Amino acid sequence: MPDSRILNVSRDLVLSRRASQIQRLTSLLGRSFLFMVTSVSVLAVLFIIIFITRDAFPFFQIRGFREFFTSTHWFPSGNPPEFGALSIITGSALVAMGAAIVAVPLGVLAAVCLSDVLPFSLRQVAKPIIEILAAIPSVAYGFFALVIFAPALQEHGGIILTVCLWMLALPAALLAATVISDLVVAGIPTSRRPAMRGICWLTLVGGALFALVQGSGHLLDLTISSGTNALNVSIILGIMALPTVVSVSEDALQAVGRDLREGSYALGATRAETLVKTIIPAAASGIAAASILGIMRAVGETMVVWMASGNAAQIPTPWYNLLQPVRTLTATIAGDMGEADHVLGSARYHVLFAMALSLLLFSFGSNFVSEHIGRKFRSRQAGG
Amino acid sequence: MTSSTLNVARPRITLEAPAAPLPSPVDPGPADAAPETPHVQAEQFSILYGEAMAVREISMVIPDRQVTAIIGPSGCGKSTFLRAINRMNDLIPCCHTTGRLLFDGQDIHSPQIDVISLRKRVGMVFQKPNPFPKSVFDNVAYGPRLFGIRNIRTLTEIVERSLSRAALWDEVKDRLAQNALGLSGGQQQRLCIARALAVEPDVLLMDEPTSALDPKSTARIEDLIAELRGDYTIVIVTHNMQQAARVSDFTAFLYEGVLIEFGQTRKLFTNPHNKQTEDYITGRFG
Amino acid sequence: MELSTRKTLDRAFSGTGMFSICLMTASLLVILLPVFAKGIKAFVFRETIENRKMILEQFHRGDSAALDIEWESARTARQPVYDAMQAFRIELDTLEGSRRRELRSSFREVESALQSLLGPEPGSTLSPLLRNRYGQTRWDRAQVKLQQVLFREAWDYSRPGEAGTRQWIPRKQTFAGTRLEPMFDHLETKLDSMLQPRWTFYWRFLSDDSRDSHLFGGIWPEVLGTLYLTIGAMLFAVPMGVIAAIYLTEYARPGRVVQILRTCISTLAGVPSIVFGLFGLAFFINTLQVSSSKSVLAGSMTLALLILPTIIRASEEAILAVPRTYKEAALSLGSGTWNMILTVLLPAALPGILTGIVISMGRAAGETAPIIFTAAVSVGKPLTLLQTLTQPTPALPWNIYNLATEHAAVEEIRHVQFGMVLTLVVMVLILNATAIAIRARIARRMKG
Ligand SMILES: Nc1ncnc2c1ncn2[C@@H]1O[C@H](COP(=O)(O)OP(=O)(O)OP(=O)(O)O)[C@@H](O)[C@H]1O
Ligand SMILES: [Mg+2]
Repeated sequence: MPDSRILNVSRDLVLSRRASQIQRLTSLLGRSFLFMVTSVSVLAVLFIIIFITRDAFPFFQIRGFREFFTSTHWFPSGNPPEFGALSIITGSALVAMGAAIVAVPLGVLAAVCLSDVLPFSLRQVAKPIIEILAAIPSVAYGFFALVIFAPALQEHGGIILTVCLWMLALPAALLAATVISDLVVAGIPTSRRPAMRGICWLTLVGGALFALVQGSGHLLDLTISSGTNALNVSIILGIMALPTVVSVSEDALQAVGRDLREGSYALGATRAETLVKTIIPAAASGIAAASILGIMRAVGETMVVWMASGNAAQIPTPWYNLLQPVRTLTATIAGDMGEADHVLGSARYHVLFAMALSLLLFSFGSNFVSEHIGRKFRSRQAGG
Repeated sequence: MTSSTLNVARPRITLEAPAAPLPSPVDPGPADAAPETPHVQAEQFSILYGEAMAVREISMVIPDRQVTAIIGPSGCGKSTFLRAINRMNDLIPCCHTTGRLLFDGQDIHSPQIDVISLRKRVGMVFQKPNPFPKSVFDNVAYGPRLFGIRNIRTLTEIVERSLSRAALWDEVKDRLAQNALGLSGGQQQRLCIARALAVEPDVLLMDEPTSALDPKSTARIEDLIAELRGDYTIVIVTHNMQQAARVSDFTAFLYEGVLIEFGQTRKLFTNPHNKQTEDYITGRFG
Repeated sequence: MELSTRKTLDRAFSGTGMFSICLMTASLLVILLPVFAKGIKAFVFRETIENRKMILEQFHRGDSAALDIEWESARTARQPVYDAMQAFRIELDTLEGSRRRELRSSFREVESALQSLLGPEPGSTLSPLLRNRYGQTRWDRAQVKLQQVLFREAWDYSRPGEAGTRQWIPRKQTFAGTRLEPMFDHLETKLDSMLQPRWTFYWRFLSDDSRDSHLFGGIWPEVLGTLYLTIGAMLFAVPMGVIAAIYLTEYARPGRVVQILRTCISTLAGVPSIVFGLFGLAFFINTLQVSSSKSVLAGSMTLALLILPTIIRASEEAILAVPRTYKEAALSLGSGTWNMILTVLLPAALPGILTGIVISMGRAAGETAPIIFTAAVSVGKPLTLLQTLTQPTPALPWNIYNLATEHAAVEEIRHVQFGMVLTLVVMVLILNATAIAIRARIARRMKG
């Protein structure tokens, strides 16, 4: 046994009954304290549901469900007031759709690029850019949309749209022409191939250019009566949703693992073929979850739509016309609460909670779906 | 033996202990090894992970102040058994035990046992060196501080003594304030030994302490184990037959959770009773 | 398909990926650059003598003797303007009926535009509104106002079926032949000496109160309010989040309860921020009555709920990243679980937890929707610590919205709006840069 002990601690292994009781009690108390603190988030979710429902319920009691979901007449301060929220719900859906059109393709491409194409050093640069995009406060995006983007869109909308069209469509057209002419000449004897390919390619590109010029002529003539419209909001919301889509889909792509990639490369596939035919399908559910999260972010966003959507409670004609102002659920809640606050208890107050409830149900629903998809994806990855 | 590098703070007791390969001057033998109360003794002791039995009804007495090696093929339950001695298996929720594992005559797994005092008296060194990301000094002083020693003089004394005991003092005495992660792997492992020694345990458990180290560091750790023999009861798990033969007085051979053979290392390695033991130590399987 | 096409497609695919990343970078720049370029003008600009006067009188800073001298020369330069106006007033009465009516209304416009450019005419009574007491304090705004004195805005609707076009009609034409006519040239050429512009670095924009609803002064109440709300939210959310993370990683046995906890946390993360605002109003203010109406306290609590999931997740990740062997080593030395958590686990996880905290601080600072109904007001004084329990506060995000959309003179205070956006964005960027730096250090330590 070591001599000259410095530590002067009891060497008894057995606790007295009292000490062990005290020990057990404190550990139980500690555990339950931790558990209680952790349950705050459960309580928060419960209370959010309870309180929003409690205040939404009187609205449906007074006005019923039909008007809210089917009428487009939104005159809450009219006499008699009307509470048809259909156009507002459509507005939310419309800008979310627009945002998805911007964010999902861009985001997935960027994620693919980040996970498989870029060298490590560039990735280290790109990551913070995405983080900063995610960090910029929504009110700053809203301010940009209102003060800088809206006037630009109003005055030079045609030019902006034309530039976008050319930027996206020209490379796509060139690529498509290459592929199509390739497929066309596939059955022809080898000697005549190059000439045929050239002719085919030139015709296709010529046609595409003609269509593009026609299209941009139309776009340039476009007058945009107000820069605060659904298009403006969609683009900005799309940019805001990008970081979510990128980071979640990148995780999904990374989770697919090396084996699959190496297997595909070993068969002689190019990187694009590997990604498009093997990796992206394997990560599809993760990417779907990412898109849902991105759309959720766009639907739940308040400041940008409040400031830059024009806040007109109408369904655009035709419904996909993004150049018209719209109004969304979030903006209506934010904007009308100030006026409805002192008429507490009126339908005008409760209708806003009804809207919040719709938002909440939507977000629960999409959260559930994305979690479900994500879980399936993960378990499949784990299972090999 | 490199005792010349040691700055031993207290007198050695068993200086007559020869170095490798076959130590053990006296022959208490596992069966008749009941001097007063043996520190660690297993009686029909089993460990289960859920339904799966990892250790089956082991009965053995681990001799006091000797080095006991546990050998056996991978997955035979060596680590599981070792970790039971200071109840590290408590961390694994599905793990439970039957039978008795006694320490100082007390059943380690009985509910009245104070795990903290138990672990204080049964130190452990892990397979991979795992110093805390703190300074060398704080690493060694971690244990004593836990037991209420705040006085910096006392702490310094303990740290110096433990580091000397672990044959590390000369190498780190000028860098006590530096982060321990900056030491080499072998130094880190000796630091972990010093850290375990600082709480003055009676038993030292080592789970493959040299498997992550190069031959030179391994040799130093083996020397160190030989140094500590006689002061501590040491239980070491190893995959290296030569190592077991070099450093241990007694050897236990486990196979699929069953204790196949236990006896003096010299005997076990030269003249095993059991066919399986022979096959294993001659490298015919495992 | 031919090999060359496949290669082209491959390259095109990589190209589109790069393109999308470039587009993302470009949109970041397009958004941030104007904010920086224009926001900086709130801090660095050419101030006129009116600004120096205002600062001296309202904030009691500056050299009053030097100002007196400058003011004297400015007054001399302005005198001909006032003389011309005085002379014209007399002349106006002598004009015949229709011309007099036409010129009088136009003269009214000139008078008010001049007042807003140069400040009140000497000898007129002091207005209670600060905006009527001083002329233009910024040289860039003075240029705009000068334009309004020199030109009349008119809309030409002569071409039917098209939108009207804007025209600028020189007032010199309108007043041709009168005694006011020379005033316009004088004003245009001598505005320099009348306003004496000078470059200035107004860093006190951050620490000055605002006067007359942000027409003058700085944004200190908003900055302070944002700090209060952010720190308050962290005070609630950090302990709760870290404790929850400890429970989930160290204590909870996997099972149904943990499943429910995790589902709730991810659900909470998905709740739209405006719903948090409504909930804060309905629960903290109307039900719990933590304060009788909006207050910093209620706002902080609402924000805390909003960032709780982020903090829990970040802390959980950080704790899980701590090697298991640290834990085992501590326990094998005889440490109790709590002791192990406090002395080994949390210190090792701290950088990761800090990253999460810092990022959610940025989020709390920038969120607007949750504080609209729970904490924010448009105009207010800076609060003392005790007042935060009961009083609402202005805050950067809310006031950016408010000034950009609801203020009476939105155009006049663009620089304040941009200054606020810049301040908020820089705050958030600094927080995120800190997070990135901490993470880089963790990565380096893991390697080394
Ligand atoms: N946490 C655990 N949960 C379930 N089963 C476990 C766990 N840890 C170990 N086992 C099982 O218990 C048995 C014994 O494992 P143990 O780690 O003790 O083996 P070992 O002899 O130390 O092997 P090695 O030499 O490879 O370290 C193995 O079959 C292993 O699969
Ligand atoms: Mg093992």
